[in-house]
Amino acid sequence: MDRRQFFIASATVAAGGVPNNNIKADSAKEPKEFVGVLVDTTRCIGCRSCEVGCSTAHNNFVPDTAADKALEEVRDTSDKQFTVVNQFKTAKGDVFVKKQCLHCWQPACAAACLVNAMVKTKEGPVTWDGDKCMGCRFCMISCPFDIPKFEYSGWNPRIQKCNMCYERLQEGKRPACVESCPTDALMFGQKRELMEVARHRVYSHPDKYVRHIYGEHEAGGTGWLYLAAVPFEQLGFRTDIGTTPYPEYTREFLISVPLVEFGVPAFLLALNMLTDRKDEVSESQGWEDE
Amino acid sequence: MNSTAVFNGELKGFLRFLLQELKPRGPWLTTFNIISIPTIIAGLIILYFRFTLGLGSVTNLSQQYPFGFWIGFDVMTGVALAGGSYVVCFVVYVLRLEKYHSIVKVTVLNGLLAYIFYSGALVLDLGRPWHIINPIIGNSFGYNSVLFLVSWHFLLYMTVLFVEFSPTIAEWAHWPKLQKFLKSLTLGAVIIGITLSMLHQSGVGAMFLMAKPKIHPLWYSEYIPLLYFVSSIFAGISMIIFEGSISSKVFSNLIGPKSHHAHHDIVLGMAKGAAITMFVYYFFLAFIFMHGDKWKLIDTPYGYWYLVEVIGFVLIPCFMYAYGVRNKNFGVIKVASIMTLLGVVLNRQNVCLIAYNWNVPVKYYPSWQEIVVTLMVVFVEIWVLRWIITRMNVLSKE
Amino acid sequence: MEFYSYVNIFETKGLAYLLLMSFLVLGVLLIKYLSTPEKKDSTSVDRKSPH
Repeated sequence: MDRRQFFIASATVAAGGVPNNNIKADSAKEPKEFVGVLVDTTRCIGCRSCEVGCSTAHNNFVPDTAADKALEEVRDTSDKQFTVVNQFKTAKGDVFVKKQCLHCWQPACAAACLVNAMVKTKEGPVTWDGDKCMGCRFCMISCPFDIPKFEYSGWNPRIQKCNMCYERLQEGKRPACVESCPTDALMFGQKRELMEVARHRVYSHPDKYVRHIYGEHEAGGTGWLYLAAVPFEQLGFRTDIGTTPYPEYTREFLISVPLVEFGVPAFLLALNMLTDRKDEVSESQGWEDE
Repeated sequence: MNSTAVFNGELKGFLRFLLQELKPRGPWLTTFNIISIPTIIAGLIILYFRFTLGLGSVTNLSQQYPFGFWIGFDVMTGVALAGGSYVVCFVVYVLRLEKYHSIVKVTVLNGLLAYIFYSGALVLDLGRPWHIINPIIGNSFGYNSVLFLVSWHFLLYMTVLFVEFSPTIAEWAHWPKLQKFLKSLTLGAVIIGITLSMLHQSGVGAMFLMAKPKIHPLWYSEYIPLLYFVSSIFAGISMIIFEGSISSKVFSNLIGPKSHHAHHDIVLGMAKGAAITMFVYYFFLAFIFMHGDKWKLIDTPYGYWYLVEVIGFVLIPCFMYAYGVRNKNFGVIKVASIMTLLGVVLNRQNVCLIAYNWNVPVKYYPSWQEIVVTLMVVFVEIWVLRWIITRMNVLSKE
Repeated sequence: MEFYSYVNIFETKGLAYLLLMSFLVLGVLLIKYLSTPEKKDSTSVDRKSPH
């Protein structure tokens, strides 16, 4: 081509490369991560304001933290309380641990739910949708932490678990438990920020913290992270969870599905055609052994 | 005569025929009736409480044990024991072993009723059963879920079994053209049915893959789906042998002499298949055991229980089947079939209920109401089975 | 170069191979056992394997 054509072609290409109006340049398009909460058990005083705040926000059972002696035994979350605080007596004194759904990054419950009632929202919280749920309780079987709780005593039962106050997050507020905590034991934010804070605390105070952030890799990583002064198995945490995301365990099986659906009918049809006995001895003479 | 009048005439005629068929044939006060009728009524009363007061009022389900007797036994075990349908259809329609043709209809009928009733039992166990429409109509498909696959395959397989059985229904309703058309669909239905069975039998096992930290290591492995599929083969065969021995006595007036003789050959052939399948299954279990280095777990209470299941109810009945086939000892074969069935029941209960959350302090035991409702489901199924067998051409009259 | 004179089958995959071999051998024996009935049954056709 001659120079004129070359210039026209280059100008056309350059014009095509100019950014058009569809690309936004504002800061709202910054990459976002799932949100979570950092629980620093060394700062928790066991006041259980988080239990009260959570239950109040969700119309659940509000415990009488002044009078009930709930800390005397290790409790689990229930269909009436999304979160509980437990007390553990350790060599470093009493440690208080808040228990609730960990909002895994690849939740077993969401993979298990056949109606997408359990969903990992794009903001981070794992939520339950009552309009879709059939009450099959397969999410309960799949959760390695045994978190989802079922309302066995109702005709219209719900699956109850912490949903990280998803509705409040939509309004720009923080979860109710984080809001209620008086001692800054709970910190809400994106996991990236929480991990930096957690690592900073662990490295800066090696005698104060165990060198492990629970939830960093457990079950492939969870939204809620924990710091502790003593090994986590002393605080009621399962340490046999593994780092594989739980939906991975069903991957091999689910992958084999299309293989079987296409391969087996073909194979069976071939067998059927191979065993065609129309040319051989007729059936009235009985079945011959080979 | 215009077409509307003909249709009306046909419809009225058919309704009259149906009412005639619904009349009971036979005595009311048989042993089975005396036991089953009160049980069914009790079950219905229990279900009333279940639907008004919630599952907790009639079951012992808990937060640690979300699956109980209804799922663990009715659904999971019932489905395994109904494996005979696809095995027999494979042998007759794909491998063309005509020897087994006479039991196809009754086995397919048993499978069809089993799936209908055990899926029904599943609906009873759901917390919000009216939402079962969600995964069906496309309101919300959870593709990543093993249970999505299992439930869809249940639904499709029931349809396929119905198609396989429908020629018999068309024959009963005096509709020969429809019967001929439906018969032409049989091979396709059988092939689809076997494919579906492979996936949902293993799928029922795959449901427990994510519960890895909660199931005792002797029963958990990544091969659970394959084990469930293989055990459904010999569970189905054992059910054919066991149920065949009962119905050949109860309905002996409906079976011709040639079929009675052929029945022995069928039992021997089936027992042979069961022995070989159980042999393979046992060695596969041994491989998984060695591969997972589970030796240290044997010297524990759960270890002994594992040995009881695997040696007592898999290896021993396998040998019994082999001995029975070789010596044509039908008594031994029958006992072997019962032991095998118990073994599969045990295996399903173990994975789902006994080895599940095995280190939790409060264990699960089925409540009497759960057992009564289970019996109700089984008895109603037998009532329907009896109605169909005595009125339709299911058992060979030759 | 080291020469191993003793292989611990529990530490290697030796045990799995032993299992596989015994499975194949016993499997052949089982099929042989199942194919030769002791008693003669009048309803079945007398079968002789062709040699």
